[in-house]
Order: sequence, then C-alpha cells, then structure tokens
Amino acid sequence: MPLPNPSKGWSSSTSRLLALYSFLFVAWSSILMGVLYFEVSSYLNKLTRHSMLQRQHLFAHMSGKQLDDALLASEAFEQRSFDAYGLFDAQLLPLGGRIGAFPAGLKLDGRIHELKQCLVDTPHLPQDSCDAVAIHITDGRWLVLIRDNGSLFVVTRIILDALLWGISLTLIPGFAGWYLLRRRPLKRIRAVQASAELIVAGDLTHRLPLSARRDELDMLAAIVNAMLDRIERLMHEVKGVCDNIAHDLRTPLTRLRAQLYRMRQQSGEDDPLAEPLDQAIADTDTLMARFRGLLRISELEDRRRRAGFVELDPHGLLLELHDFYLPLAEDGGIQLTLEQPASLPALNGDRELLFEALANLVGNAIKFTPEGGQVRILASVDEQAVSVAVDDSGPGIPSEEREAVLKRFYRSDEGHRHAGFGLGLSIVSAIVDLHGYRLLIDASPLGGARLMLRCARPLSPAAPV
Amino acid sequence: MPRVLTIEDDAVTAQEIVAELSSHGLEVDWADNGREGLSKAIGGGYDLITLDRMLPEVDGLTIVTTLRSLKITTPILMISALSDVDERVRGLRAGGDDYLTKPFASDEMAARVEVLLRRNSVPVTQTRLQVCDLELDLISHEARRGEQALNLLPTEYKLLEYLMRHAGQVITRMMIFEEVWGYHFDPGTNLIDVHIGRLRKKIDSPGQTPLIRTVRGSGYAIAEPV
Repeated sequence: MPLPNPSKGWSSSTSRLLALYSFLFVAWSSILMGVLYFEVSSYLNKLTRHSMLQRQHLFAHMSGKQLDDALLASEAFEQRSFDAYGLFDAQLLPLGGRIGAFPAGLKLDGRIHELKQCLVDTPHLPQDSCDAVAIHITDGRWLVLIRDNGSLFVVTRIILDALLWGISLTLIPGFAGWYLLRRRPLKRIRAVQASAELIVAGDLTHRLPLSARRDELDMLAAIVNAMLDRIERLMHEVKGVCDNIAHDLRTPLTRLRAQLYRMRQQSGEDDPLAEPLDQAIADTDTLMARFRGLLRISELEDRRRRAGFVELDPHGLLLELHDFYLPLAEDGGIQLTLEQPASLPALNGDRELLFEALANLVGNAIKFTPEGGQVRILASVDEQAVSVAVDDSGPGIPSEEREAVLKRFYRSDEGHRHAGFGLGLSIVSAIVDLHGYRLLIDASPLGGARLMLRCARPLSPAAPV
Repeated sequence: MPRVLTIEDDAVTAQEIVAELSSHGLEVDWADNGREGLSKAIGGGYDLITLDRMLPEVDGLTIVTTLRSLKITTPILMISALSDVDERVRGLRAGGDDYLTKPFASDEMAARVEVLLRRNSVPVTQTRLQVCDLELDLISHEARRGEQALNLLPTEYKLLEYLMRHAGQVITRMMIFEEVWGYHFDPGTNLIDVHIGRLRKKIDSPGQTPLIRTVRGSGYAIAEPV
C-alpha cells in the first residue's frame, strides 16, 4: 500500500514560518521607511518653504529700481537650477527675470503653493514640481519666485533604495534558508515514510527512526512508536485467540470426521443411513478443506521469510499447469490453451506457491466458463515483469466487484451456482503479496474475466531460459 | 501383527488414531508426552510411529532427530497443526517419512500408515510391476494390459506406477497429488478424479475386468479383482 508522498502537495512548517517571517519583515520595514520618508520629507518641505518665505519677505518690501537690483544680485548668488524669479506687469505679462511666462494655475494670493507642473517651456528651470509664490509689489508689478523642491525626490530615492536593499537582503537569505531548512525535515520525513511502508507491508516489529536531536519530529515518531507497540501487542493477542480457536476446532473436526467415517464403515450398503452418512462425510470434508484454507492464508500472511525462493523456469511451470488442468477442461467441454513466448526469463519465487496461485486461477476460470467456452493461459514478458494472464470466455467479473473478489469468502452472484471454496483468490492474493507480485483483474479479450499475475523480474539480469 | 506407537498429547485425537488403526488390524500403543514417547520409540521395537509435531517436554522434531541419529529407521508419520510448506520441509528433512496436517480425516491417516508400513514391499531391484494382466516395465516405461500395449502420457505413467507400487492399498487423492505432482495444497477433489478417469479409460477398456477401484470417500486402489 503506497503512502502519500510528503514532497508532493505537502508543505513543511519551517517554510511556512519562514514565509511568514519574511512577510512580516517586509511589512515592518515598509512601515518604518514610510514613516521615515513622511517625517523627512515634511521637514525638508518646511525648510524649503522657510527659505522661500525669507526671500518673499525680503523682496516684498522693495519696489522699483531697488527691487530689480536686489533680484539681479540674488540671481548671481543663487543656484540657477533651483531658484528663479520673474517680474510681471499688472496684466501678468513678463517684464524680466528667467521665468518667461506666468506659471499656469498659480494663485495671486501671496502664499506659497506647490505646483505639480512647473514651467514646461523654460529651459534650466524645474520641469516637474516646484514651490511657487506670486508677490504683489507696491509699484503694481507681480514678482514670481519659484524653488525646485527636487531635494525631496533625492530623499525619496535614498529611502526607496534603502528599502529595496533591506528587502532583498532579507528575502534572498530567507529563500536560501527556506530551501535548506525544508530539505532536512523532508529527508527525515522520507526516512519515516520508508519505515512506515515496511510496517504497512506487514513488518509490525519495525519502528520509526529517532534521531539524537529530540525535536518535534522525534516526539511525534516516539508517540507513533508507542502506538505501534500497543498495536503489535494487540495483534499478538488476537492471533493468540485465533490460534486457540483454530486449535480448539481441529480436534472436534478430526473426531467428527472419524466418527462419521466409522459409522459409515459399520453400516451396510443397503442401510438407509448410508446415503445421509456419505453426505455428512462429504460436508465434513468440505468444512475441513475450508478450515485448512483459512489456516493456510493466515500462515502465508504470517510468513515473511523467502527461504523457499529459488530461481525457477516459468516455461516448465506453465506447461505443467496446462497438462494438469487439460483433462478437467476437456471433460467440461472447454478448450484450454497455453500461449507463451519461446523463452521466458527466470523468476525468483517459491515454485510450489506459484503453481498453487496459478492453479487457483485456472481452476476458477474453468469452473466459471460454460461448456463450449475457452480458457487461455497467456504468458508475456516486458522490461519490468513476466505476466501470466488467465483469460476465460465466462461471464466475467463486473468492474465494481473486482476489488471485492479478493476478500475472503467473497463470491459473486454468478458464483453461487458453482461449488467452490471462495477462498481461492484470497490464497492467490496472499501468495502474490508474499512474492511482491501484483494480481490484476480485467476483462478478457475472450469475453470473460482476465486474471493476471505480474511477476516482477529479479533485479539481476537473468539468462533467458 | 504390526505394532504402531502413537505419540500425541491430545487425548481425543489419540483416541481416534488408536481406534482407526486398530480397526485396520494394527496393535497401537499411546504415549501422551514427548519424553515417554521417545523412550518407547527407542526401546519398543515398533513398526511405525505417528508423531505429533508439538508435544510437551520433548518436541516432535527433537524426537525424529534423536531417533535418526540413533540409527533407528522406524517409519514416522508426522501429524502437525502447522501446515506451512516450510514446516513440512523441516519435518521431512529431520527424518520424518510423511507429514499430515490437522485436522485430518482418519482414513487419510490410516492410508498413509498402511503405505509406510509396506513401503519396502517392492524391492529396489525389481524392474517390472504386475497386477493381474496389467504390466508395467520400470526400465522402458512401457505398460501393457494383456497383449495390448498402452500409450500413457508421462503423468499417467507416474500415476500408474504409484498405484501399482502400492497395489492392494488405498491411496488417497491427497497422496496422489503429493506423490505424482509433488505439490501439497488442495487442488479440489475432482481434479485427481479426472486424471484417474483418464487412466482408467486407458487400462480398463470395455469388456475387461476393471482394476482401479474407487474406495468410497477415501481414494483409489489398484488390485487383483476378487
């Protein structure tokens, strides 16, 4: 039974935590930088306005020639790209200064305004945003002062740069750490998965690995291990009970059969009890056969050793199988054929058990195929496995019943008409599990059921037989 | 009268074994534990031992091993609750001659005992078997009934040889499957019947006295007609 693969669709808690931390860090630095930006820019803004106010006050009390001289003098001292002035007459037509046209949208209220679009067509002056003020001079003219507030953009850029660096310096090590940190737990999870698969495969004595670190994963593994201890003990108890029941049944069954047999021996051929006694003996035999079948399955499921495994030739096994069932098939008016390639690679397995499994499949196929039908044993080989399919032209197995037929004592409605143990496929299933093979149930090209054993080839390349 | 020792700790099972074997005209002694069983087996001069695999005090497997290491060759039928193939192999390798799983039919057990008791009735040097006018050449693998040569398939030959080596004895279906095919599972009763039917058709042609007899409930026997 495959366990869910932890690397697909599962995310580790470490990576989730790292992502959360990174997100929090980015959010926090953004807020910090935002506040810093806001404070610094409003301070710088205040400084700019302050210096403009100073100039405004200086020039506001001048007029006529005095103003013109003061403006010329200040222009010589001031940086050309930051500050500029322009003189306009009462109709706002330019009289002097570098500002060639009255800035659009500047209110004539003597207050400093921030203009989004400053002086588009005047060279060497701020193009985008600037602070500007229009001052009414006593001689009736208008003085326009502008000052670039570009230093604010520089601050913005510095702060944005800092933010970018900060974020990238957080995120890059974050991602690297995330990658490294998630690998380690995943590696351990995979080790746990490998152990769990062994346990699922039936080795209940196996336990999850514990590391020396005693971390959360180890705590979890220790809890699971404690649980497994308990399960193993319970299984042993259940098995003990089953063995006791089996033991208690064996003796009465043996005795029942023996007594019936003795009564039958003592009764003559014309005794009226002869027939019911024969029937009782036959029923007891059936009972004993089923009982042995059940014991056999639990023994097979118990068995983990592969001591009986040999390298075997499937070719000979299949020929023997065919010969064994041919008379039965012919008596039932069924055509039994064997098709196999000229050579099949050797398999590693228990010859007797494999024969039993295949015999069950062929026996079932013959049993469920009506007279005049066909049963075919078809062997094929591909890269991974040697497949042996048993096809019949019987009623087939409906796809919804294909899982269920492997269960103990399952019998399809069709099956009630035939005598059988209902355990056959469970025995096949147990044998297949023991070998690590697969049993596939499908529709057969002959019209009935196809039961196929996929026998994985041994890893070492076997010589063709 | 052949003497049989039954080593079996379960009283009911032992009783059945004793009753069944006595009805076959055998003298049966019973030991209910391994220690007593072993000492009887060593000193008793029995013709056959039925031995439970799991016994108190001394285990069945130990008894077989001990007897064989003492060069005591008394045939041993092991009767075990363990039906696993490995278990059977272990029992036979230790020196058991046959292996039967519980629950068993008493006639099956008796048939096996009879075969073991007379297992050396056909000398190794013998090259042909004969029952009435049916002859089997063990060298050339040829069979003939009277003047008529029989054309047997390899399995049919093996089956006939097995029956003829134990002529006059009841051979059960399970024994046939184990001996002729070498497998130990339950193939379903009628499979062996079908194979016997085939063989019968070949050797008992219409008009001839049938030689293969069906023993009701138990199995088959080949014998001179009475």
